[in-house]
This record gives sequence, structure tokens and C-alpha cells, in this order.
Amino acid sequence: MQLRFEKRLHQSKIMLLAAPFIAIALSVVLSCILLVVLKKPILLTFHSFFIAPFENFYSITEIFLKFGPLLLIAQALAVGFRAKIWNIGAEGQMVIGAIAASAVPVYFVDSTSGWLLPAMIVLGALGGMAWAAIAAFLRTQFNANEILVTLMLTSIALQLLYFLLLGPWKDPMGFNFPQTVMFQDEALFPALFSGVRLNVSIIFPILFTIAVWLFMEKHYGGYKLVVGGLAPSAAGYAGFSSKKAVWGSLLLAGFAAGIAGMSEVAGPIGQLQRSMTSGYGYSAIIVAYLGALNPIGIVFAAFFLAVLHIGGDVALVSAGLPISAVHIFQGMILIFYLSAYAFVNYRLRVVQPVTQPDSAVSS
Amino acid sequence: MIKKIAKRLATVAVAAVMVQNVASAETLEVGILLPSPIADVGWSHALVAGMDAVKAKHGDKVNFNVVENIQEGPDADRIMNKMVGDGAEFLLLGSFGYMNGGLKLAKRNPERSFVHASGYKVADNFSPFTAKYYEGAYLMGMAAADLTKTKKLGVVSAFAIPELISTINGFTLGARSVDPEITVDVIWINSWFDPAKAQDSAKALLANGADILFSNAQDTPSVVSVGEENGAYVFNLNSSMKEYAPTKYLGVVKTDWAPFFVASVDAHLAGNFEGANQWLGMQDDVVVVEDWSDDISAEMKDKIKAKQDEIASGAVHVYDGPLTNQAGEEVVAAGSRLEDGAILGIDWHVEGINSPLPK
Amino acid sequence: MPSVEPVSADSEPLLSLRNITKAYPSVVANDSINLDVHAGSIHAILGENGAGKSTLMKLAYGVVEPDSGEILWRNKPVDLRSTAAARKLGIGMVFQHFSLFETLSVVENISLTMPGSRKKLARRIAQVGADYDLHVDPAASVHSLSVGERQRVEIIRCLMQDLKLLILDEPTSVLPPQHVSSLFAALRKLRDNGVAILFISHKLEEIRALCDSATILRGGKVAATVNPNEKTAHELATLMIGHDIPQVEARANQVDLNKPLLELSAVSVKSSDPFGTDLKNINLSVHAGEIVGVAGVSGNGQQELSRLISGEHVETSAAFDCIRMMDKPVTYLGAVDRRQLGFAFVPEERLGRGAVPPMSLSKNSLLTASDKGMHRKGFLNKPRMDEFTQHCIKEFDVRCGGVEAEATSLSGGNLQKFIVGRELSLQPKLLFLSQPTWGVDIGAATAIRQRLLDLRDAGVAILVISEELEELFEITDRVYVIRSGTLSPSLVTSDVTPNDIGKYMIGEQQQASVTGGSHAT
Repeated sequence: MQLRFEKRLHQSKIMLLAAPFIAIALSVVLSCILLVVLKKPILLTFHSFFIAPFENFYSITEIFLKFGPLLLIAQALAVGFRAKIWNIGAEGQMVIGAIAASAVPVYFVDSTSGWLLPAMIVLGALGGMAWAAIAAFLRTQFNANEILVTLMLTSIALQLLYFLLLGPWKDPMGFNFPQTVMFQDEALFPALFSGVRLNVSIIFPILFTIAVWLFMEKHYGGYKLVVGGLAPSAAGYAGFSSKKAVWGSLLLAGFAAGIAGMSEVAGPIGQLQRSMTSGYGYSAIIVAYLGALNPIGIVFAAFFLAVLHIGGDVALVSAGLPISAVHIFQGMILIFYLSAYAFVNYRLRVVQPVTQPDSAVSS
Repeated sequence: MIKKIAKRLATVAVAAVMVQNVASAETLEVGILLPSPIADVGWSHALVAGMDAVKAKHGDKVNFNVVENIQEGPDADRIMNKMVGDGAEFLLLGSFGYMNGGLKLAKRNPERSFVHASGYKVADNFSPFTAKYYEGAYLMGMAAADLTKTKKLGVVSAFAIPELISTINGFTLGARSVDPEITVDVIWINSWFDPAKAQDSAKALLANGADILFSNAQDTPSVVSVGEENGAYVFNLNSSMKEYAPTKYLGVVKTDWAPFFVASVDAHLAGNFEGANQWLGMQDDVVVVEDWSDDISAEMKDKIKAKQDEIASGAVHVYDGPLTNQAGEEVVAAGSRLEDGAILGIDWHVEGINSPLPK
Repeated sequence: MPSVEPVSADSEPLLSLRNITKAYPSVVANDSINLDVHAGSIHAILGENGAGKSTLMKLAYGVVEPDSGEILWRNKPVDLRSTAAARKLGIGMVFQHFSLFETLSVVENISLTMPGSRKKLARRIAQVGADYDLHVDPAASVHSLSVGERQRVEIIRCLMQDLKLLILDEPTSVLPPQHVSSLFAALRKLRDNGVAILFISHKLEEIRALCDSATILRGGKVAATVNPNEKTAHELATLMIGHDIPQVEARANQVDLNKPLLELSAVSVKSSDPFGTDLKNINLSVHAGEIVGVAGVSGNGQQELSRLISGEHVETSAAFDCIRMMDKPVTYLGAVDRRQLGFAFVPEERLGRGAVPPMSLSKNSLLTASDKGMHRKGFLNKPRMDEFTQHCIKEFDVRCGGVEAEATSLSGGNLQKFIVGRELSLQPKLLFLSQPTWGVDIGAATAIRQRLLDLRDAGVAILVISEELEELFEITDRVYVIRSGTLSPSLVTSDVTPNDIGKYMIGEQQQASVTGGSHAT
């Protein structure tokens, strides 16, 4: 008896739906083993991860606070990934968006104008797009690989952030610590409810999701991008411009990441500081794939990862789990998902060998 | 032994969670949030060691919940919120960057007490605490002056905040009190914990001629190891790293937070915790200098001892005039002393430091 | 040199397949196949595309393993798990797409799989070449060789081992007619030396001329095993497709010489691919009401020419009006703009170029027919897409699971009918097809050719690139021959013979010696 891994004729719809659940189940099992080895309480850990986040209102709002930027960036990245344009530098685009938006409260410290926030939104979006545009330009003009370019640009963005925080934008009253002034209330999104950090910026990812869904499912432009990703020669044959696809998907990601960065500094953080991204730019890649690059799937994936993250924080405090264990758990889910996803297009088949092994002429 | 404490603390923390729901009202829940791994040495370790004294005093009446290695930012805010939500009454926030989030939390929870490392904002129930490292660094400067041949000293330093600037100034003043020809170079690496960068910077300083290294607020023994490997005397802050430089260890400016933490927890339990800027030095037994190198001359050891007594008694102050800044301008005249407020917000280097201060 | 053993055709079979079945997820490629190949004979495997020929020879060469059944070598079961096992038995194979490294020389290529010093190998290559009239310079770089010479290298590589059985996959499809006879001479010599040859082809006349026996496959099963010399081509064809061959009804055409709908004047293009072919000084015209063919051995610039005409490659260095369509300069226009002028194109690759494999037929209609009211301000009009697709399916007899069927789920012939149908539904004034009946079954191919003739009569200008000379003779009014990126003068199809065209293919024909066939354009 032999096992053979062979391509399916059609994508398996059941596997498509089951893959994330298989990934979660396998991760849970492996985590249990890990917890036993670490001598950590298993039940308390899973309670922390999956139940505690929903136990009170504040915690639920925190899930949505985390959900917003993940959803926003992942939706945009998924559009590019479907067109096979690998922007992995959303982190950098987010940083530049945050920097561009922060320029307003940094230079207009005393302003109480109602235009502060709208100006920050616009600048945040433009900042992220400008950063992504560099990668698009290098790709279309010189065929520079966008994976490398966007990754490198993230490093540059971080150095730019550090430079500003240590130099020109440093809070003059902040005893030289690398952060800007705390923004005035007019430069912050109002909270949705009193006492929580969740704010009105949650509207951006929701609107953006609807727009992306319409674009990808119902619009000719989305269709062109998908054709470019599935069959580049067919896109060339039809006359769809690959340059437009590169520009379009990178600018879209820059826009979303820029808004996300802006929403962080004008939201829960309230100032520009070194660790402002919380790694959203990278986590969003996981979200995009966990959601099978589908706008609706991504909503669930973003929510799931947000819960996992809040749960991870709870586990740090309540179950005494080290922070690396939380990262391991998140990493496992992605790896198991990608493995399970292979079965969407492939299947394992048991085959019987044709002749007896002893009749083999050569080995 | 140090590792054991950390492990015990971790088990205590887990146990605390396990019994959380049945814990009686008399048990004090303590939340401890740390920016770097507790490890065997360094900043976070010193804080935990200090809290251990609280445990020793109160035993089962306190439960610790320790979360380590948390970057400053929105996630740190959420974790302290969670600690308060889980019932923590007394919080130790172990990094400058937790300041704004911690202060907001303190204002929402007036009945709970917060002690916050290195900050400058104060509330009724929120006390920033800082050590007068410069007192110990001054003595280290004297020892360094005794041993240097090149008359060049090197400092690898984290952030250019007043706490660290004042420490470097103290080090320089101490060295030049012995030999005014000595100069000091500083490299700012803008991180509390970046072993690779710290190591590279230390090597750069040695290459530039320094033969004594000062690891200023680094939570990694990288600089200390580089000193041992290259035959340069080296010292650091917070906790002893002698095992990383057995032959070239100059000494340590240790912080013993135990007295302060015990006092703060006692005050909280007694209901009279009052937020205030806690600036603690040798007088308070918080700054302790020990593990002196045997290579320091006996004569200098005596001088150091005498100086230490003078500082501890308050007879002498490191920032007594005359003090001159890098530009050669006199900032403090002979016979006067730099005010505490000015030291807490210091943003200038004394004469003898070559590197410009990042602005 | 192959070892020569005394043989007679009625001795025990060298290779036997017994009830071999091999299924792929979509299709049973081989269904209970029985086959005997004898030493010293040339055995043909005959069948249409998709009949299971390729799978069968891959089984015999150890590339794939059967699901059930037995393979016997001299009446003993063998386990052909790998090509290495097959080679060890003395089985050699020449694939349709050669496995040679273009940047290496002949001897370097052969030394990759053969032990021995280059010097010794070069001597043996020359020796084998002389023995079988398969001359090739061992020191020559492969990229400088013609297709026929490359095929010789592949055959020599097989001969240098102890060869018992040689498998050839459609060996003549890449050769001009002149080179076919020298290949056949070499194969006969091999047979006479006792080598068994498995000859895969769908060309009936060749099989009748060369082979001693023939196994005819149809739908994965053996339809018949015959002696091809005793059958007429028509009888073989009937066995191959299972029914009588349909005929294309040809009529005299009405060319409107005043209406050139496609004109290329002195276009030269440097290929971006280092092993591609540069186009040199191309002059070509197609008028309303005529079908013009481009003949030639593949790899002589057809790819580059088709991309240039379709607008997939826009040559920015060419003169502004050196390419004209519908009397307008289009040199700098892309595929979309050319389509809007009334141009339609059927590329040679169906999956991945002419159609997006995992997308539904409905979405594949959108690929080129978006202007047929399929979107309003960019938002897709699904009912209109379905309606258009349904029309193509019905009109062109596309066998599929409806408008939502994925392009990959269709057989090659049906997908080609869909693509041709989609392009014809654009009602083009100028239609360009590349290899329109490649891999399409005879019935569908005949239907497509008939459609092209009907369109021509309706006044459409049609350009066809094809490697099948029979096809070009059947439908075209004029032909050009492409060789090394240059076009021959225009030839009137009815005035030339396949042999004339063959001379242009291999470059023996000088322009000056063209007699009567040239046609001023």
C-alpha cells in the first residue's frame, strides 16, 4: 500500500471551509502538549484565550480595537495577494501613515480646530500610499522585486520614525524620551463608549471591507486583478495592464495601512512613539491567508486573531504564560493552516502497487 | 540563587492566579509589569529582587502577578488594565514608557496604588521612583581614574533621558576629580535591551582608545563581556555582572529597591500611600556600590570610602559647584549646588565628555 | 552502438502490456490496454489527441506507473518505477519537447547522462551518426542547431546506450517534409539492426509508409491492431475517430484587394528572450475576404509574430504606422485598443492564455468580450455575461457543464471551440488564429475550419499560423512561410505543393527562384 499526494480536479469547497478549523484544532492539541511540558495550567490557559476575552464589556471592546487595524490592512493585502503582488511591507506603510498624520498635532500643538482630525486622516492615507508607491515605481520601472523592496522600506520607515522621535519631534517636556507630545483631544478619535479605548475609527475597516467586497466580487477592476494573479498570460492576452495592477494593489495597501497607523496614534496611543504598530502590518498577512484571501473570510480571521491576541494578553496575566508562548501559538495556526490549505487543491490517495516487490528488476 | 528567586516568583505568580478566586480580602494582589525578561541580571531582575523583600516580610498576605518582556505601547496598557481587572491593588510599572497609560489607569482607580520607574509625572496614588545612580557613578569614576592608562573612558548608554545623563555626568565628575585630563565618550543605542548593538558599541569605544567601559542602563551583560574579552575594566548598574567579567570587573552601582518597595506596600496597606516623586540614593540605602575590583590601589580605595561616607551623610553632593558644561561655560558657581529639580530634568553634559548630547 | 541480435518478427515479444489501466482524476487515460512490441519492428501507436497515446508511452518509459495491469519484458514481469529502470532495460525515448540544454554543446549535453571523457564521447557521437546517417557536429552548441538536428542528438543519445526499444513521440510534427524521409531512413536501419521502435503519431500517411504494425487507440481503449500497409488512410482514420471523417466544403473566395485589414510593413523586432527569434523585415498583408496562412517549423518566430500582431507585445521602437489594422496605424496600441477596432485573436495556448483555468466560462467571456455590455460603470452585469456565454456554448456546440463550468473542466477541443466561439461572437473584421486545431479532435477541427471559410465568404480577413501543412492547404488562399524570423514572399496556395513550402521551411528556396507562386501584396 502506498500513499500518493495528487492534484484534485476541482478545489474542495469542504476543505476550504474546514482548513481554518483543522488548523485551530491542531494548534490547540500541540499547545496542550507544550503547556504540559511548561507545567502551565491547560484549562486556565484555554479559558484565558477563548472565554475570558468575552467575559466583560471592556474586554470585548478591546477585541474590536485590535480587530480594526488587522481587518483594514488584511483586506487591502488580500487584494494584492490575489493579483500575486507580494506587499509584505504594510508595517512600514503603517509607520509612515502614522508619521504623516502625527505631523499635524506635532506642529499645531495648541490648535483646537475641528480640521485637525480630518487633516490627519488625509495625511495618514497619503503617507502610506506614498511609501507603497516607491515599491510600485521600482517594480514597474526596474522590475525590482516588491517583496524585498517593501520589506526594506519597512526598515527605513522605522529608522525614520526613530530619527523623528529622537530629534525634531521629541516632546520638549518629555525629558528626552523618544516620543512626541501627547496629542490634544481634538486630534484624537472620540471613544465609542465612555471608559473604553474603542473609538469611532472602527468605521474605516468596516466601510473598507464592504468596498473591497464589492470591488473584488462585483467589479470589472477586481476581475482584472484576479485574472492577472491566476493567469498572467491571459491578462496579457486580454490586454489588462500589469503595471496598473501593481500600482493599484500597492496604493490600496498603502492607503489602508496609512489609515491604520493614523488610527493607532490618534486612538489608543494618543502620541507617536517607537512601538506604535503592534506588529499589525505583519499579523495582517496571517489574517489575509487565514481568511483564504476572501473579503468575508478575512472578517472572521481578523476577529479570530484579535481574540487570540486579547486572549494571549489575558494568558500572560492570568495563566502566567510567557509572551513567546503566545507567539508560538499564533505561528502554529498559520503553519497548520497553510498545510491544511494544500488539501484544498490536493488529496491523498491510497494506491495498490501493480506488481509484487520481489519481481522488481531494478530498484 | 538569583534564578531561583525568579523561578520562585513565577511559581508564586501562578499559584496566585490559581487561588485568586478564593483569596481572602486580606491578601494583597500585586501586579508587576516589566519591559525586559527577568533573566539573571539587570533592570527587571533588580526590580523583582526588591519585591522579593516584600514577599519575605508579608508572606502569604501578598500575591504577585509578574508579566515580563512587554513592549511599551497599547498592549502594555491593556495588560495593566487586565491586572487591575484581576484585582491587583498595588502595581509596579517597571518602565518609563508605561507612564501615560499607567497614569490614566491610576486616575480611574484612585483606591489603588502605583509605583512607576523612571518617570516624572505624579498623581495622588502614582509615585514615580528613580535612583540617584550618579552618586554611585561618581565613585566608579574615581576608581576608573585610578586604573585608566589612556585617560579615555567609554559609556554605552540607553536613552538620553535625565536619569542617564546625570549618571554619566556623575561618572565624569568623579573621574576628573582625580585626574582632570580624563575624557569620556558616549554612544547612545536607544534601547534598554539590544545585545548586538550594545556589543558593537562597546567595541567601537575600545577601538577609539577607551580602556574603561561603563554599561549604562543595559539589561544585557554584552558590554561587560566585551570588557573582559578585551582587557578593559567595566562596571554597570542595577545588579552585579561580575560573573561575566571575573578579572576585569570594576564594581557595580547596585539598586536595592527593597527598602522603598517595603515602605510603599506598608503605606498602601496602612491606607496612607501618597503619590510623590521618589528620588532615592545612598542615604536611603537604595544606591549601593559593591564588588570592587582588587586592582584598585589601596590609597584610592580609602579615598572612595571617605567620599562615599560624605555623600551618604549629605555633607557632600556630586553636583556641588563649580560645574562647567561641555561648551566650557560655568553653570554652577563655586559654593552653590545644583537644585534637585534641575538634576531631575538635566539636559546638558559636564565638561570632559566628548560626545555631544543628542538633541 | 546497439547490440545486434538475430531476430524474427514472430519471436517472443520484447515488451508487452497486459490489461494496463491508468486513471487521472478527470479521465481514464488508458483502459485495459494490451500491446506487444517485437524486436526488429516498428510499431505505431495511432490515435487522436486525448486518445491515451502519451500516457501509454509514459507507462512504457517508467514516467508514470499504471493503476493496474502488468508490464512484461521478454515475458517476465518488470516494475518500471522510474526512467532509470527503463533505461537499464535498454528503453530509450525521444520526447516531443527535447530535453537539451541550449547553452551547452552536443557532447556536453550527452556527457550529462553518459559516463566517459568528452573526447571519447565525441568520437562515439560521430561514429553513431555515420552508422545511421544522423550527422551532427559534436562540438556545436545546441542553440545553433535546427530542430531536426536536435532530434538527431536525442536519438543518438538513446543509441549510445544498449538500446533495445526506442520510443518516439510525434517525431515528425517538428520536422519539415524534407527531413522526414532522412529520419525514416535512420529508423528503418535501426529496425533492421534488431531494435524495436514504438512510433507515436496521428499522421496516417507516415504510419502507412513506415510501420509494420499499428495499435489504434480511441478513448483510452485499443480500437484495433492492424497492419497499416493493408489499410487505406481513410480506413485508418475511420478506426481512429470511430466514424466517417467529415469534409470541409471549400468554395472559391472573393478577395477585396482594395481593403487590406492587416498590413505589416518592414517590421523588425528584437526578441526579449535570449533564445527567442528576432523578427526581421516582416511584410505581410491580409485583405477582407481571404484566409492567409503562416507556415513554418515551430520556433522560427511564430510566437513573436503572434504577440506582435495581437498587441501583447508593443514594439515601441518600430515606426508609427508600420502595423496597420482596418486602415489605422496600431503599432503603439495595446490589445484592448486593437480589439475595439474589430480585431479578434485566438492564441495557441488555451489554458492560461486564451482562458483563465479556474474561472467559469461566464467569467472567461469577460476576458475579451467585456465591451458587449458586460459591465456598467465597472459593475458587472452577470445576466449579460451568462447570456453571451450561453450563446457561445450553443452556437459552437461546446460540451460542458454550463456557463458556470470551470475552463479546466473542459477538454482541449471543447475549450478551443469555446474560445473560437467567444472571439467570433465579437464579430471581428480581422480574425487571427494561432494553431487553431492543435490537439482538437477531427470533428471539432473540421467544424472550426468550416466556420473560418464561412466567415471569409462573409468578408472577414483571417490570418492563421499553423504547423499543420494539411490544414493550411485545406483552407488558405495564400501562405507565407516563416523561417528564422523572416517571411517568405506571399505564395498562392493553389499554385504550390507541400514540397515547395518545405523548401522555404528549411531555407533551400531562394527568393529569386520562386516560380509563379508569388503574389504581389
